[in-house]
Amino acid sequence: MKRCASVTTTLLLGLAFSSAAMAVTTEDAIKYRKSVMAAQQWHMLAMGAMVKGDTPYDKADFERRAESVAHLNKMFMEGFTVAGADKGESRAKPEVWATMEKFKGGAEKLGVESAKLVQAAQSGDMKAIKTQYGDVQGVCKGCHDSFQRKER
Amino acid sequence: MNSPGRPDVADRVLVWDLPLRLFHWTLLVLVTVAFITALVGGKAMVLHGRAGVGIAGLLIFRLVWGIAGSTYARFAHFVRSPHAVGDYLAGRWEGIGHNPLGALSVLAMLAALAVQVATGLSANDDIAFNGPLYPLVARDMSNLLTELHGINAWIVGTLIVLHVAAIAFYASVKKENLVLPMVHGWKVRRNASEASHRGGGIVALIVALTLALAAAWGASGKWIS
Repeated sequence: MKRCASVTTTLLLGLAFSSAAMAVTTEDAIKYRKSVMAAQQWHMLAMGAMVKGDTPYDKADFERRAESVAHLNKMFMEGFTVAGADKGESRAKPEVWATMEKFKGGAEKLGVESAKLVQAAQSGDMKAIKTQYGDVQGVCKGCHDSFQRKER
Repeated sequence: MNSPGRPDVADRVLVWDLPLRLFHWTLLVLVTVAFITALVGGKAMVLHGRAGVGIAGLLIFRLVWGIAGSTYARFAHFVRSPHAVGDYLAGRWEGIGHNPLGALSVLAMLAALAVQVATGLSANDDIAFNGPLYPLVARDMSNLLTELHGINAWIVGTLIVLHVAAIAFYASVKKENLVLPMVHGWKVRRNASEASHRGGGIVALIVALTLALAAAWGASGKWIS
């Protein structure tokens, strides 16, 4: 009896402390990566308005936003790599996981281009900013063309 | 109007008025720009949006001109019953301007372009471009309109391909050049009853242009505070 109780207690304690990593659901992974990219779009739009001249250019604000986009870049990948991320309903094509190296390559390219945008933002040179902003847009589109379904 | 010194029983008739011809070729340019900028994406999207706003204005112009313009530009003149289409296909149609089948393709193209403009104005590209009327709709609606915009692009493209094929058919098989009349307005007279166009004067032009510019202004979203 005592032995039975101690074995049970050990098992229960073991179960309680073994799942140190939180189990994430597919739904949460999809929601997470969509949120990160929506946040990138938010900042891209605000920067775009300054690039087009629809809103007055504010150097500090533009820098902050460029840094946000670059930082957010480092955040979305785990929404694609956690267990179960390839399931569920989303606009991510199966190619994301079938050619994960290519997908990661795309994300790295975005990292490079968004870092360049931060540098351009720091320089305050609007010509360089416009060019680099356009390049960042192009990289986003490049991955979307390959890995995002058109149907919404 | 006929050139001076030529009586109306000349060897050619003036079919397409200048505003209509300008409309046609400007539309061709803007639709081409819209297609190319859509494929390029990214920084080309701003130009894509501007082309769309321009097309919105052109479509309203054509609508008004189809009511108030010169003879052969008017919808009342060339839109015919299915019976007339049958006559045309059997070779029994005799007329100038848009034939009954051509009339259907004109209406189809105008309708498809109208759908494309309407869906595009509040679309979004997920990246950094929102259509000018994006603030007017909910995000879910914008996503739906964007999807429709992408699907309808195929319809527009198909109609344009058919249109060009028909022009080519007329040139190679029927030995009739339809491009030149749309450039300079004149076509060879086939019988004495054919007459140059009338109407579509300065008042109609001013009304059509005003409404077109108003439509473009509306589409541009610049009025949204």
